[in-house]
Amino acid sequence: MVFLSLSCWIRNRGPDRYWKVQEVLKHARHFRGRKNRCYSLAVLAVRRAFVYATKARRFKKRNMRTLWITRIAAASREHGMKYPALMHNLTKTSVQLNRRVICDLAITEPRSFLSLAKLARARQQEGLRAALGDGKEPPGVLSRVVVLQ
Amino acid sequence: MTARGTPSRFLKSVLQNGVGRYVCQLKRISIIFSKKGQGSLGIRDFIEEGVVDYAKKNPTTVVYVSPQPCRIPKIVAEYMNGTVREEIVTNKTSPQISELLAKMTNQSGLDIIRIRKPFHTDSPSIQGQWHPFTNRPPSIDPIRPKKEDSQ
Amino acid sequence: MSSFSRSAQQWATFARSWFLIDARMQPPGRIATMCAVRLQGKHKPIYHALSDIGDHVVVINTRHIAFSGNKWEQKVYSSHSGFPGGFKQVTAAQLHQKDPKAIVKLAVYGMLPRNLLRRTMMQRLHIFPDDELPDDIRANLTEELPQPREIPRKLSEYTQEEIDAFPRLWTPPEDFRMK
Repeated sequence: MVFLSLSCWIRNRGPDRYWKVQEVLKHARHFRGRKNRCYSLAVLAVRRAFVYATKARRFKKRNMRTLWITRIAAASREHGMKYPALMHNLTKTSVQLNRRVICDLAITEPRSFLSLAKLARARQQEGLRAALGDGKEPPGVLSRVVVLQ
Repeated sequence: MTARGTPSRFLKSVLQNGVGRYVCQLKRISIIFSKKGQGSLGIRDFIEEGVVDYAKKNPTTVVYVSPQPCRIPKIVAEYMNGTVREEIVTNKTSPQISELLAKMTNQSGLDIIRIRKPFHTDSPSIQGQWHPFTNRPPSIDPIRPKKEDSQ
Repeated sequence: MSSFSRSAQQWATFARSWFLIDARMQPPGRIATMCAVRLQGKHKPIYHALSDIGDHVVVINTRHIAFSGNKWEQKVYSSHSGFPGGFKQVTAAQLHQKDPKAIVKLAVYGMLPRNLLRRTMMQRLHIFPDDELPDDIRANLTEELPQPREIPRKLSEYTQEEIDAFPRLWTPPEDFRMK
């Protein structure tokens, strides 16, 4: 017989069931209560833990993104912008930074983030002016929006 | 594998404030083998052919060759940060062993476990980290709000 | 990479600020949203749900909050003591009569996340029915937040020139009888 590792070779000697139990308990040693030493409880808990771990790999990405968004929203509020306006106008100005990087900038490089916010603000104003046109009302239409601006 | 059940660490370098750059972290290698054992055939070949070249190529590494009556020949590597790593070289051929040695030489001696974040920097912020007063207009008397005084 | 300067940086980043909100003639719900955001620390880019970085919020003049519509009479605060017959319902006006801090407190409490940190955050909320503040709290204050609603002026507070300058749709004739 060929054994690829030492542990496999050691396993070869003892009773089979012992090693089977150890394989499960190995993953349950840090659990709380009898789950970390009783096989019949541990096997259920380990199975559940693996299911959670599998799901969590997907949730982690989702949760991280929500966290970044919360942080960017907080940082942009400081500069008087709302999060959707900031992100929309940054994409409009073809700033290809993702949320992770913008969030890191907001924490570690607040001045760079400020300039990003200013850029988005300028783009927003530009878009608003373009939407309003030259400030004249079209013939036959009476509106107060232009007057207020 | 669950995240809490497996050991993990953060990404780290052995720069030691720049002093450790380009310094080979492997300090000592002991090759333990048997003079007669069958499993030590490859390592005996390697000692005949390559070990002197290896020692010449890596002057910062001390190489011990110790023949002992043992079944399982192994290479014990000691790193600058105190890590001791054993590699078993039973039934390995001479080129395989030299490959293994090259790998161990290039390693830093840090634990090979799951790394929590694939990025790290020692100086995260050039402009200074955010704090509550970063974007607040500086005022001379911030403690006393204006309205309180007037009332 | 010197360690001492870094730790000072950490203290600055995680420093707690004290905000002052004047609730005079303000809707309690909007006061409460401002409070809840700051108590949770959601106004900081370093926010994390587990890191407990909420700030202190001091709300003054809660006796003079302003509900809109018919909420003073029709908004009902219910509670149950757990005993049989222990279900109580009071209107907002009655509750306010009894405890002028209660409405703002309940509004903020309802807006905080339902977790173990909720009580801790509530401890950082300081409510005062009038504009009298203890000196230790007054000494901590770092910033006053702008009021969410502009306080409407009474007719008696307008000067005669402003009343005269107000645009009129229609000028009543001399013999018009006001109802």
